[in-house]
Amino acid sequence: MTTALIADDEPLLRDVIEHLLLQLWPELEIVARARNGREAVDLFEATQPDICFLDIRMPGLSGLEAAQIIGRRAHIVFVTAYDEYAVKAFDAGVLDYLVKPVSSARLAETVQRLKDRIASHAPAVNSEIMLTALMQKLKEAERPAYMRWLKVQIGTKLRMIAVEDIDYFRSDAKYTLVAWRNETGQPAEALVRTALKDLVLELDPVQFAQVHRSVAVNLAAVSHMIRGENETGTLHLKGRAETLPVSRAHVGLFRPAQKNDR
Amino acid sequence: MKGAFRDLLKAVVAIVAISATIGYASDAAFNHGEPWFMYRMAAVGLVVVLTFRWLARWPSSLPARMPRWALQVAGVACAVPVTTLILWSAATPLAEWPFWHKGERLMEFAFVTVVGLLVSPWIALTVLVRQKEAFAREQEMAFRLAQSELERREQDARLHLMQTQVAPHFLFNTLANVQALVDARSPKAPDLLRALTIYLRSAVPRLEGSQHRLGDELASVRAYLDLMQMRMPDRLLYAVDADPAAMDLPCPPLAIMTLVENAVRHGIDPCEAGGRIDVRCDLSATHALVQVADTGQGLANQPSSTGTGLSTLRERLKLAYGPGAALRLYDNDPHGFCAEIDIPIGRPAS
Repeated sequence: MTTALIADDEPLLRDVIEHLLLQLWPELEIVARARNGREAVDLFEATQPDICFLDIRMPGLSGLEAAQIIGRRAHIVFVTAYDEYAVKAFDAGVLDYLVKPVSSARLAETVQRLKDRIASHAPAVNSEIMLTALMQKLKEAERPAYMRWLKVQIGTKLRMIAVEDIDYFRSDAKYTLVAWRNETGQPAEALVRTALKDLVLELDPVQFAQVHRSVAVNLAAVSHMIRGENETGTLHLKGRAETLPVSRAHVGLFRPAQKNDR
Repeated sequence: MKGAFRDLLKAVVAIVAISATIGYASDAAFNHGEPWFMYRMAAVGLVVVLTFRWLARWPSSLPARMPRWALQVAGVACAVPVTTLILWSAATPLAEWPFWHKGERLMEFAFVTVVGLLVSPWIALTVLVRQKEAFAREQEMAFRLAQSELERREQDARLHLMQTQVAPHFLFNTLANVQALVDARSPKAPDLLRALTIYLRSAVPRLEGSQHRLGDELASVRAYLDLMQMRMPDRLLYAVDADPAAMDLPCPPLAIMTLVENAVRHGIDPCEAGGRIDVRCDLSATHALVQVADTGQGLANQPSSTGTGLSTLRERLKLAYGPGAALRLYDNDPHGFCAEIDIPIGRPAS
């Protein structure tokens, strides 16, 4: 007797698949129903089904992560919501997948393929390499272009500040100082643990420029630069008394703006 | 580099022009044709130009009541007699010292000083006016550029909104649920379909731009939360608690919805145990405060979030209510996430 596990965080969708499978493959026994990835793995270990239907997006452990743990011990069919990226990522590989809302015709194809594989004792196609490649593809699709919000600790509160409100970053011994404007436009400061060099990688280079080994500045916050000795400079900011150093390598950055600098 | 060279060229032309004018006039007046007289004139001109340029930058900060142009003009006016005095003293042989005892030299000195004083502050002023005009032109250009940038962003925001609202992800998942209920002949199917209809009705015509009110917004928020609760019955609880007096406030379409969707997607959905969402709207004399708090995943456990929707919302709030509007995001005690829209009232929204 062939056995199966169904994992989906939405109970109604779990029921749909079960309902359809019952019609298309009456001999199949559904031995486990999981509400999240962790439960899916636990129930898999307990019941050892031949087939797992895994929703990709589940709380805690995702369907992909659960699949990595299950490995080739079961045939895996992924279930995904309609999403251009996901569908593209799946189309490129040989992994089985269903798109919600699951149609009877599509499920019938999948069932046929599974029956063939089980009859010929073919191994599961979900190899480690394939799962890793799929994960990579899905991750790329959702990677943000540039940071828009920064998490900072202010007092006892963790809050998010918009990067447009940040005047500059200055690295301190252990931390990075974030100088920003609160809602009333008043200058404020906070510290983050991320190193400046890592922050700079995530910042939009059109908006922020590194002007010194230890300073990255929001170009919109700059008032003017005063040239100093030795091809260095000092940046003055709008509405802030403190100045920032500009190292020799970065003085050139402000050359085109020099005409406005009166 | 090119700009600096042009500036220098201008300065040299100015010196030659100033000294030639004054020098020619005095030379004619005293009729001695000595070349050193012209050199001294050129030196005066050079000092005047240098003073003018130097005072444009030094001191780097001035007291608020002291305009820089006044400092520059005064500096130029002072530079003329001082420089002339030094030059004429230096050029006078020791035997004839002090030079003002000799009538002709005194006349020369007086003439150069007076003409210099008459001419150079005026030239300085002209230069300043021209600089100011150029600056104003530049500012106007920059302003226009910023304006068109803002308009473009507003367009983008609307488009983005439309895309997220008609997000196939949400719609297809909900339809999959409807289908499930219908297939199972569940008595809950009509309720889910009704909630979806209310949600879509409120989502679609909102893009037309007719005045959208907080009451409308909260109605669609409720419809959305109803839908989501039916989809994850064991994981989502919610409450909407709003001051009835706030219902007529204008509200940009989907402002609160964005926050609620975020709370579901990033707060409740990734959390195995689920959580609750509280939407509150409080009114004070000067502000309306809308709060969307969830007890879900929270900020600390979140992988770095894109926050595109939130950035767009922030911009839309500023466009609708002016710079006084704020969007604050912080972690909720003891866990979860809280987003707050702070709107100044008493000023009509555009």
